[in-house]
Amino acid sequence: MRTLIRSSILSLALGAGLGLATVAQAEPSGTFKYAEQVKLITMDPQQQSGSGVPYLRPVYESLFEKAADGTAVPLLATGYEIDGLNVTIPLREGVSFSNGEAFNAEVAAANINRGVKLGIIEGLKTVESAEAADEYTLRITLKEPDPAIIDSLCYTGGMMLAPAAMADPTIDRNPVGTGPYVHSKDQSREGEVQVYTPNPTYWDKDMIGLARYEVWEIPDDTARLNALKTGQIDAGNWLANPQAAIIDRTAGLKLIRNTGGLNYHVIISDREGTMVPAFADRNVRLAMAHAIDRAAFGKAVLFGLSEDSYQPYAKGNWAYNPDLEGVYAYDLDKAKEYMAKSAFPDGFSFDMPSIPVYQSRLEALAGFFKEIGITMNIAPVEPGTLARRSRTTDFPATNLVWNTNTDPKFLALRYIYEDANYNPFKVKPSEELLALAEAGLESVENSVRGPIYQKMAAKLADEAFLIFVANSPILIGASEKTDANPTVVYRYGEDSINLRGLKAND
Amino acid sequence: MLKLIVQRLLALVPLLFIVSVLTFSFTSLLPSDPVDLIIGDAGTQQQYEMVRERLGLNEPVHLRYLQWLGRAVQGDLGSSFFNSVSVMGAVMQRLPVTLSLTAMSALIAILIGVAAGVAAALRPRSWVDRFATLGATFGQAVPNFWFGLILVAIFAVNLRWFPATGFTPLTESPWEWLRSVILPSIALGTSSSAAIARQVRSAMVGVLQQDYIRAARAQGLPFRRVIFRHALTNALVPVVAVLSFQITVLLGGALIVEQVFAINGLGTLAIAAVRQQDIPMLQGLVLVMVGLVVTVQLATDILYGLLNPKARPS
Repeated sequence: MRTLIRSSILSLALGAGLGLATVAQAEPSGTFKYAEQVKLITMDPQQQSGSGVPYLRPVYESLFEKAADGTAVPLLATGYEIDGLNVTIPLREGVSFSNGEAFNAEVAAANINRGVKLGIIEGLKTVESAEAADEYTLRITLKEPDPAIIDSLCYTGGMMLAPAAMADPTIDRNPVGTGPYVHSKDQSREGEVQVYTPNPTYWDKDMIGLARYEVWEIPDDTARLNALKTGQIDAGNWLANPQAAIIDRTAGLKLIRNTGGLNYHVIISDREGTMVPAFADRNVRLAMAHAIDRAAFGKAVLFGLSEDSYQPYAKGNWAYNPDLEGVYAYDLDKAKEYMAKSAFPDGFSFDMPSIPVYQSRLEALAGFFKEIGITMNIAPVEPGTLARRSRTTDFPATNLVWNTNTDPKFLALRYIYEDANYNPFKVKPSEELLALAEAGLESVENSVRGPIYQKMAAKLADEAFLIFVANSPILIGASEKTDANPTVVYRYGEDSINLRGLKAND
Repeated sequence: MLKLIVQRLLALVPLLFIVSVLTFSFTSLLPSDPVDLIIGDAGTQQQYEMVRERLGLNEPVHLRYLQWLGRAVQGDLGSSFFNSVSVMGAVMQRLPVTLSLTAMSALIAILIGVAAGVAAALRPRSWVDRFATLGATFGQAVPNFWFGLILVAIFAVNLRWFPATGFTPLTESPWEWLRSVILPSIALGTSSSAAIARQVRSAMVGVLQQDYIRAARAQGLPFRRVIFRHALTNALVPVVAVLSFQITVLLGGALIVEQVFAINGLGTLAIAAVRQQDIPMLQGLVLVMVGLVVTVQLATDILYGLLNPKARPS
């Protein structure tokens, strides 16, 4: 892997100016209220496996974060250098945790090692260990080349916990980080609202604009919408559902389509035909891909809030391949031709696992497949078990969402490699696909990796065992005042607001 | 009366035991798994096994139950599978919320139900009676969550008289507390008020035809006194029995209405625990709910005895 050195001075400047209209601030004032659609499970970032990052961001800062264009820029780090399996990260000096403990390389290493040991964070799975090279230089040793390691350190994998917090068994409700705000347990109400107040020891005090930040736990979409309409909250996150569509057309409210999103796709796991012989036939898979009327699907099932999808990445992503746009355009005649050419012209049937939230999606897909003689039996599985069941050979195919901001290397780890998480039938990838997946790991430069992954996406489209259907962007509902607030900056690829520099609407 | 209370409290012990066994067994039979949620989509089989081991889920169900029971009898209901929040703490924090909602709903149900029932009984087959009957039918037929949404749309979103979501503790601001519970309580209490109105009407019509009422009126007692002192007191005896059932219904209904109004009570906690298969939390919730229902029934029996001396235990 090439060595890449980032200038500390440049990094410092980028870190400080991260996509914000930053001006020296007066005393923190006002309150900003954000509503989160998932209940708070844990405030321990290293045990966080799903959504809920908006609860963490006020308290925890990561070593790096994403700039407006999606590139990783330093935050608690000041730069980085990657040399093969060694990653050297100089750290910002003069930073302390809100409990007074100092932030240094030893603490950063302990954080990374804890994350590795807990094994929840996917982005840290390539890390062997971390150690302090000197007081403010962190050294991470990788098990294998990982060009996405810095990217992973932008999220929960790079969030820094105070040493005392790491030793606290109740850390999930007593977070201690270096962030601009501290969690106020006294003012918070468990299960209802988490309250954050300014961190008096914050290293960049000018970036604290609020006297109080609140994250409300409102899982019910209609209740969250009503809270937004009545001004009880300033903003909140939504999935592509009827309530989000209402926000989109309600005067005085604004539906923000943030970068990235959730790309719904069908996975033909049994592509060697062990359970369903027809799936070994590429013509069948191509027929299925062409039989999906994505425009109708998006309008009917995702309320017109999605974009047709033919590849893992969304427009604007460095790995997006523009040539694949429309590669599986809806064409029933073509789909039927493919079926006729296949060894299964009379059709076949298969079982597809379903959870309630995907039921309507699968009903739509079943209708499309029926048109070409394929009967898809929708088999309900317990909510929460779809991912696990999809990792087993219980079903010949499955359906999931892919976060379009995830580094493409994870696409290979999840679907392509023989031991990939979602390759339960242990199908060997084609040589070309495997070579592209490996080549993507050989550089840390997106300008080099981009063309490789574009080719990989094209090859995936050609093999058609991952059939992408619709990409729903990250949706944030905001009031008119929030939309007009120049200090509101949505984090790249996240459903949260950057709190550094955020001021209240009034 | 003391004997009744002691008897009921003693009966609570086997009841709680049976309920806890059933809850534990049924939850354990579900095919879903909390570990899936803990490790997330990127979790591996190795992690899955590790977390199952840590949570003790690989132990046989009966052993897990006995371990839980051993701690529970010492007052320790354990903590959530997902975080360090203690079950007792979480339940006790939300109990006042659900109790507030249920109590206010019961009050609304009684006020509307008794008033409508009396009004209808005083003028049987009049337009007042028909209107009250129609209202009662409507009240019982309309789902409380739908009615709640309508109330929010009109009184919170359009008129801005009440908050659309959330709950303010009574200790924080009595006025804001009242504003936060009024809409959900109306949504919840309406169907119970309909049931009470029907019962009051029926009982009052019967009582008003009794000789002692005629005698009271013949003696020239004021109309209001006859109705409220003599007739209503007697008519309320069967209503108390209905009320006991209705309060139990209100407790159950609160679980749904809490969702509509984003109120963080026992219902919200229960739904999250069911979704996550958070067995310790579910166990704690079920025990508390059973305790509540038994307490309501006991209170009703005591009230029944006070209103009707014949019903008092010897």
